[in-house]
Parts: sequence; C-alpha cells; structure tokens
Amino acid sequence: MATLAREVESTYPTLADANEDISRPILVPAWRYAFVLSLAIGGVLLGAAAWIYQIVVGIGVAGINHPVGWGIYITLFVFWVGIAHSGTLISAILYLFRSGWRTTINRAAEAMTIFAVMTAGLFPLIHLGRVWYFYWLMPYPSQRMIWPDFRSPLVLDVFAVGTYFTISLIFWYTGLIPDLASLRDKFRGWRSRLYGMLSLGWTGSVREWMHYRRAYLYMAAIATPLVLSVHSVVSWDFALSIVPGWHSTIFAPYFVAGAIFSGVAMVITLMVGLRYAFGLEAYVTEHHFENMAKLLLLTSLIVGYAYAVEYFLAYYSADPIEQESFLWRARGEYRGPFWIMVFCNVVVPATLWFRKIRRGIPALFAISVFVNIGMFYERFVIISGSLAHEYLPSGWGLYTPSAVEIAIMIGSFSWFYMWFLIFAKTLPTLSIAEVKEHLEHERSHGHAAGAER
Amino acid sequence: MSARRPRSSRGLIAQYGSMESTRKAIESLRGAGFEELEVYSPIPAPELEEAMGIHSSPVRLWALVGGITGCALGFLLPAGASLAYPMVTQGKPIVAIPVFIVIMFELTVLLTGIFSLFSMLVHARKPKLSLPSTYRREFSVDRWGIFVATGTDLRSEAERVVSTTGPVSVEVTS
Repeated sequence: MATLAREVESTYPTLADANEDISRPILVPAWRYAFVLSLAIGGVLLGAAAWIYQIVVGIGVAGINHPVGWGIYITLFVFWVGIAHSGTLISAILYLFRSGWRTTINRAAEAMTIFAVMTAGLFPLIHLGRVWYFYWLMPYPSQRMIWPDFRSPLVLDVFAVGTYFTISLIFWYTGLIPDLASLRDKFRGWRSRLYGMLSLGWTGSVREWMHYRRAYLYMAAIATPLVLSVHSVVSWDFALSIVPGWHSTIFAPYFVAGAIFSGVAMVITLMVGLRYAFGLEAYVTEHHFENMAKLLLLTSLIVGYAYAVEYFLAYYSADPIEQESFLWRARGEYRGPFWIMVFCNVVVPATLWFRKIRRGIPALFAISVFVNIGMFYERFVIISGSLAHEYLPSGWGLYTPSAVEIAIMIGSFSWFYMWFLIFAKTLPTLSIAEVKEHLEHERSHGHAAGAER
Repeated sequence: MSARRPRSSRGLIAQYGSMESTRKAIESLRGAGFEELEVYSPIPAPELEEAMGIHSSPVRLWALVGGITGCALGFLLPAGASLAYPMVTQGKPIVAIPVFIVIMFELTVLLTGIFSLFSMLVHARKPKLSLPSTYRREFSVDRWGIFVATGTDLRSEAERVVSTTGPVSVEVTS
C-alpha cells in the first residue's frame, strides 16, 4: 500500500472518497451493463435448455461413452473448482501473511470463488444420468439403511466441495457486513432498508469489531488449509484409481498449484474489466497486478515442473503401459490439446519474467486469457486423455464433445459471468472497510502498512 | 476495569475525525470516571478496544468448540454409517481411519467456521432490526463516535471533559 500512496499521492483518497468511489457503481443503471448481462443470461438459458434436453432424452445425447466416461462435464467441474482457489488464497492466506496488497482485490476474488464453486457444483449433477437421484450422495438415514461408501473419493469430494462452498460463503459474508452497513447509511428509502437488513444492524461499535476481528481471523485460519485440501481431494477422484495417467502421488500438489494458477489468471481477467468499467484505478494499481503476475509466474513454474515430472516418473517407472500412456499424450490423437496446454501454461507465462509485461495491463490480460484456455485443456488432457488410452488396445477409444455438451459449457461460463455481473452492480467490489483501514493507517503512520485488523 | 455498555440513551455524542483523537478521548473520559461508553468506528479498531479495556472475545472459545464437535462428528458419521452398512470396498477395513481423516478435517473446518460466525453474531447482539438511537450515519463513513451515558447531574462535567479532547461535534441526547 505504500506504493499505492506513492502512485496516487496527488489525488490521495480520503476515507469518505473510498466510500463514495467504491459504492458509486452500485444500483446505477447503465445500458452497456444491461447489454452484457443480457448476453450472459442468454447463455445461461441456452445451457439450461441443453440440460433439460439431456434430462428428457437421456445422457446418450452427450458424447461421453465407453471408454471415455468422463468428458467435458467432469473437465469443467475440475476447471471451475480450480478457478475458485485463488479467491480463498487471496482472502485467507494473504490475510494471514499480512500482505497488504490483497485489500483491494480480495472482495472480488472471494465473490469469484463463490460463483466458481456454484458453477462447479452443477457439473456432478449434470453428469448424472438420472439427476433426480443426486441426493443419494448425501449421508442420511434412509428407509433401507443404505449409506454412502465413505471410503470412496467421490463421497469425500461431496464433503470437500460442500464445506468449501459454505466456508467461502460465510467468510465472504462476514467481510461484507460492515460494507453493507456503509451502503445502508449511504442510500435512502428501499435501498437503505434492503442493505440494512443484510447488514444485520451493524453499527461498527468497538465491541462489535472485537468479536468480528476474532471471527474473521479464525475463518481465515481454517480456510487456509481448506484451500489446499479441496483440490487435493478432487485430485484423489483420479489418483485413487488405477488408470495410467491418473494413478500418481504427485496429483494433490499438482492440482493445487494448477488451481491457484488458473484462479489467479481468472482474477486478473475479471479485475482488469472491473477496474476499467468502474474507474477504480486509484485503488487497484499496477502494483497489485504485478503481484498477481508474480503469483501467476510462480504457479506456472510449478505446473510446468509437474508436467516434466510426470514424464520422468513414466520413464523411471519402467512400466510400458505408463510410458505408452504418456507418449501417446504428446503424440497421439489428443496431441493438439496437449501442446495447447504446454504453450498456454508454460511458454506464454514465461514472458512474465519481464517487469514491463508484469506491469502492462493489456499484456497481462491477454496472458490471463491464455492461461484460462490452457488450464481448461490441461484438465481435459488429464481426464479424458487418460481414459481414452488405458491398458488394453482393444479398449482404446476417442471422445468428441457433442453439441449438447458444448451448449452446457457455454452455459456454465455465462452462469459464472452472470453472477459476477450481478455482484458487481449490487455489492461493493472492493472491501470498503479494509481500504479505509489502510488509508487511515497510512495517514497516521505514513509508512507501509501490514494487513492488520 | 473495563468500559461498560450504556444502560440508557441519555448523554452526549461526540464525533471525532481520527482514531488517535478518539483513543485519547476515551482515555480522558474513563480517567474522569465515565465508564458507560459506546464507541463507534468506521474501521476495525484494536487500539480503541485497548483504550476501553475490553480484550478477549469469547468467539475463540466457540471456534474451538465448533472444531472439536466437527472433528468428532467427522469420525462418528462415517464410522457409524460404515458399521450400519458393513460392506468391504477397496480392500479397506470397515472403519478405515486414514480415509475418514478427510471427513474429520472437512467437518472440523465447517463447524469452526459456522460456530465462529454465529458466536460472533450472538456476542455482538446481532441481528437487530433497528439501529441504536446513539448511532449516526457518519460513523460508517469517516467519523468516530463516542456516546457517554450520563444523568443530568454529571452532564456538564462530561461536556467539559469532552471539550478538552478536540471533537468535531458534540450533541446532547435526552
């Protein structure tokens, strides 16, 4: 934040400015916003229509079949859970590390987490042939006393993703309470009543803050191991099987690094748009983008290393099936997705070694889009690519997504952006209380401030 | 000794422009024997907690209770369910502790979070439908506020103490 102060010294925002600037776009109609939102809603309707068609006709309308039973739906599930990760990383881990630069991006990143998990959570249901039986995943005392198999990683997944969604939601909401109170006091009439109800009657008395700070700290503390656990559990959906290409002990850290990688890329994509659309240049600066770019570079190196280690392990295992599986990945029918993945996730982010590119917002935006594409292909290569080329040559086969699957994929992206757009117009996209805390800290101390609460 | 919650809404509301002046004002008021204080702050205020002499929040205890409950539940639920429907899968024992650790961990996290949230709300006496009469809109923007509950007998004394602390504005509530 010291950098923030230096960069905007001439127009240094006051506490009242922070309230005003951050809440300015809220509930103000704008035709461009309405246009983009209606596009997103259109995409959601398309996806919904495709899903209804699939439910009515049957799962056969999707391209998944033997041997590739896990196609784009599971790919998107893993992709969206991954996107979610950087939100919690920024909001919880960087909070515990007192990284001041998280202040202006954590709210949007957390919102992104929630919407990404909401999107991800749809896919196990969409993937089910008979979706009306999804509640069988839940442990409840049924009439026949049949319980789910708690040794199955798929049941662990239900707990991991369910917990992740709940904790992200309450962590986000807790952070929002003081800001909702600010909005209540800013507006008059029905808006004031609406935000007043949502803020639960928050007054910001010191006694309230005392309990609030404690609760927020504990939520951050428990969300930190949770981030690392969720994608580990998701990776065990694969690693606990015996499919070559899946059965690997590096999967948990590999997936977590990939998740943070794709998540940071999505935060950059969204923050560039938000900053431009709402004129938040004084709060979200190049300094913030550079820090995110460094995170992107670091996780890109980890992901690139994991790609290399997978090949080394296949070679060193001296297992011909494992070796064949990995050679096929780079040379077989799915070499296109494989090399797109390497290019987008390893080659393109390597340009971030240059400071100019890290601080150049258009370049960073382009790189973040490349990374999102690359990470989608990574999930696809790992999931469908491994299933297509298992042990017996007679059991090999290819998978092509059907039109229904593509429509649902478009629907999922639209669903995510729809929620994000609604969020951007109804809630403060930056944490007002935290931004003000930093401004006050800078004003009274005049030096770099930690993220102390 | 710590500052007490005001029992009436009669007294003075003083507004301040910074955390530092608010802290000094709390110290002067408490030094003069005014302990029934409500202090409002637009940002988290550890310094003011200290000045008011209120320190420990019971939220920490509830978080611990939630975590232990979650951990225990995370073992009892899968173990009980597996014993109620004993079917060997994956060659693992019926009560397969290493796998159940995942559920134990997840429910520990889940209940710690839920208990933290609800204990925070209960201890902060939320939710409330109406705001206290001593609250002002400015307190969520850039003003700090101190409400001193006093009877009419001590009001002039309170006004004198407050005026020495450099408030932005002072108003009398009755």
